[in-house]
Amino acid sequence: MKKNWLRIATLAMVCVACMSFVGTPALAQEFPVSERTLKNGMKVLVQSDHSIPNVALYIFYRIGSRNERPGTTGLSHFFEHMMFNGAKKYGPGELDKVMEANGGSNNAYTSQNVTVYQDWFPRSAMPLIFDIEADRIQNLSFDPQKIESERKVVASERRSSVDNENGGLLDEQLWATAFIAHPYQWPVIGWMSDIEHWTIDDLKRHFAMGYSPSNATMVVVGDVTPEEIFQLCEKTIEPIPPHAPPPPVTTVEPPQLGERRLVVHKPAELPLLMIAYHVPQTNHPDFYATNILRTILFQGESSRMYQRLVDKDQIALDVSSSVEPAFDPTVAIIVAQPKQAVDPEKCEKSIYEELERVKLSTITDQELEKAKNIRLMEFYQQVRTINGRANTIGTYEVFDGDYKKLFDAAKNYAAVTKEDVQRVAKAYFGANNRTVASLLPENEEKAKP
Amino acid sequence: MRASKKCSVFLNLLVFIFPGALSAQSIHIPPHEKVVFKNGLTVLLLEKHGVPIVNFAALVKTGSVADPQGEEGLASITAQLLRKGTQKRTAQQFAADIDFTGGSFEAGAGADFSTVSGEFLNKDLTRGLDLFSGALMHPVFPQPEVDKLLAQSLDGVRAAKDEPRAVLGTYYDAYLFNGNGYGRTPDGDEISLSRIHRDAIMKFYESYYAPGNIILAVAGDFHTVDMKKKLEEIFGQWPPKPVTPVIIPVIPPVKRNKLLLVDKPDATQTYFAIGNVATAAGDPDRVAIRLVNTVLGGSFTSLLNEALRVESGLTYGVVSAFDPRKAPGPFGIYSYTKNESTVQALDMALQILQKLHKQGITAEQLASAKSYIKGQFPPSIETSRQLAQIIAINEFYGLDDSEINDLEARIDAVTPAIAQQVIQKHFPADNLVFTLIGKSSEISAAVQKYTEKRDARVIREPGFWPPPAQK
Repeated sequence: MKKNWLRIATLAMVCVACMSFVGTPALAQEFPVSERTLKNGMKVLVQSDHSIPNVALYIFYRIGSRNERPGTTGLSHFFEHMMFNGAKKYGPGELDKVMEANGGSNNAYTSQNVTVYQDWFPRSAMPLIFDIEADRIQNLSFDPQKIESERKVVASERRSSVDNENGGLLDEQLWATAFIAHPYQWPVIGWMSDIEHWTIDDLKRHFAMGYSPSNATMVVVGDVTPEEIFQLCEKTIEPIPPHAPPPPVTTVEPPQLGERRLVVHKPAELPLLMIAYHVPQTNHPDFYATNILRTILFQGESSRMYQRLVDKDQIALDVSSSVEPAFDPTVAIIVAQPKQAVDPEKCEKSIYEELERVKLSTITDQELEKAKNIRLMEFYQQVRTINGRANTIGTYEVFDGDYKKLFDAAKNYAAVTKEDVQRVAKAYFGANNRTVASLLPENEEKAKP
Repeated sequence: MRASKKCSVFLNLLVFIFPGALSAQSIHIPPHEKVVFKNGLTVLLLEKHGVPIVNFAALVKTGSVADPQGEEGLASITAQLLRKGTQKRTAQQFAADIDFTGGSFEAGAGADFSTVSGEFLNKDLTRGLDLFSGALMHPVFPQPEVDKLLAQSLDGVRAAKDEPRAVLGTYYDAYLFNGNGYGRTPDGDEISLSRIHRDAIMKFYESYYAPGNIILAVAGDFHTVDMKKKLEEIFGQWPPKPVTPVIIPVIPPVKRNKLLLVDKPDATQTYFAIGNVATAAGDPDRVAIRLVNTVLGGSFTSLLNEALRVESGLTYGVVSAFDPRKAPGPFGIYSYTKNESTVQALDMALQILQKLHKQGITAEQLASAKSYIKGQFPPSIETSRQLAQIIAINEFYGLDDSEINDLEARIDAVTPAIAQQVIQKHFPADNLVFTLIGKSSEISAAVQKYTEKRDARVIREPGFWPPPAQK
């Protein structure tokens, strides 16, 4: 993430916080989306909404930390920062200055899979925004001085989201242990020693690899017409020549054959527990059943895990789960915040018992209906703002291959049966498929024999 | 000078390439209606169709400032317990019923007021209203739920202390107001929470959750006439009772510099806040203050961000912010930097503040802040959830719709001269309160130079400020 440090940091910092998973359904209102593929291969999706005089513009580049190599981990994220540090027409610092002076703001995020640039602006700034975006896709400059100062900024970002945040620290260790072959094993922000050693040539290579217009999808939602956006694109973006997309990521994570465990010792008030289970990628048919399962287990105070760990056993403050949108098979992560002095293993035991319960007997009809209602509400919450809609349309387009899948989500959730939920619980949430990470407060640990 | 050269470049662009950018847009809040029921409940209704959701936002005009000394967190605990058992439902039934609708119910307390809010699909309106009103009007505070929540909140404070940026503001406010008024920590601390009992919670509820002390805003997909009738049937039955208003102490700005260093021995960065007591909500200068603060530290191109992040790479983030409340609230510059550059970052932030006082802001900076605020405002009133909260809060602070409808005109009216006056009047210059969380053994000596008065705490020690023994 480029900015907004006051936004409360959640666990996987650079990635999870920003890419809260997009799923959902119901015969919720459809909204018309116009699409065009430019001659250079960039796909543009436009949705008009004149309720406020503003526009949200997202550009999704299909490049993230999965496209990196050991030694230059974190490069995608660092590059994201550099995209704000000057091109040909808008030099260092000018992009932000011109944008803000015209009422606009911007941000960006990088995940394991994508790098996403976001602009929010009044309609009046539209030509400017396209001018800026075209300039930096085409003519990014690599000022050695800016690289050095931005390197320090990213180091500071890492210090706050990993070194000084237990959740970020444990999350990093969890991924590094759950994956032994696939690039999901390294952190999006990069290892500190890699942050310290990237070179200007690494950045140039990354730009050449990932930033072809054909490797991007643009989504524009708000006070615009599709025609005017397509016209602007023809003028500013379409002339930019395409080149080869990033080479495919061919490494496949081998099946996990037994439980992996790791411990982090650190001065802390409270312990922390994270458990990762390998699950398929976003466009896999089991996506919907897995989400229904996670909803029933984790969402709301009536969920099974909350009722068990927080309400009944009273051993945790909070228990939740997350799955990031992913091109490749990924992990579903369970996070439990044990109470002070509670052994995380106690939380583990309760979590495993609840998982066994969904495997042994099917969930109730009432639970299934509840989960579908929760997903419906989430859908409305995601699409009720121009910003949320831009993100949702883009996420479906990029991760499911077609934004229209967004409108099928209702049908796909409706089709999930109790037996499906039971099946995915058995298929993915077993002992051999899990990695368990515990953070143990140092003081407490010393007391142990 | 480098900076001015950049400015002129962007000004050219502004004038010659994108002249439309500064043209006025019209920002308006949708029409809404206000009714006061016989029992004193203020009801605000705002219809907004398109998404089939209805939002309720009840603002109870009493917040954590009313917490008794030593029982900080009481307002917050009371609010959070509303859903944990009502006359009709146990906590578990309440959770099951809310979750089944896909809706949500949240309650909490800030400094000036407590909030209770609900969000439901309009097809579930009847059930939603029953849940929402049941929690607001008929909570029963079962002892086991009280015990559970208090134990969780206690650990919640401890968990927050594992993350310096989660508690920086808490330490800063507590130290700035020296534990009085807005120095009461809204979520309580390890000691105050252990002192709260069910009797005190019941008493807090009985004293302040009264129709005459509540503003209920409803926004979303409904018809006003029907909704008013429904609300009258449910909330009109709530018996009125007198409420003794809470006197919020007006605490003047701190006259003598002081610094609190909170030791977190494993910290690799120093988290800091610098500022003083500043303005109250509704201050006549509020729009000009917001503009100047946008230039100082309220945007990415702000003076502070330009210096501490863009030019020097000392930090990932720095902001300055006012938090206007009933009585004067805090102003602060908030940032962090690695241990070794603590003094460099603090010095730089102080220099920027001094420069602001000496040189003021340029016409270009002011113009940019004007466009920025105008351009970024509409998405803040986009959803019925935002609108319900905004109309309730404005009503509480005695602000009317002109707050939004006249915003552009008020922004346009701010001249460089007015900005200059506002800087002198509202932005602290020499008298500053510092709060630092970091590795004391590495930074303590270096930060000695800032103040004569020094205070110290260790993050693991219970409480924030003052230390429990001094209370």
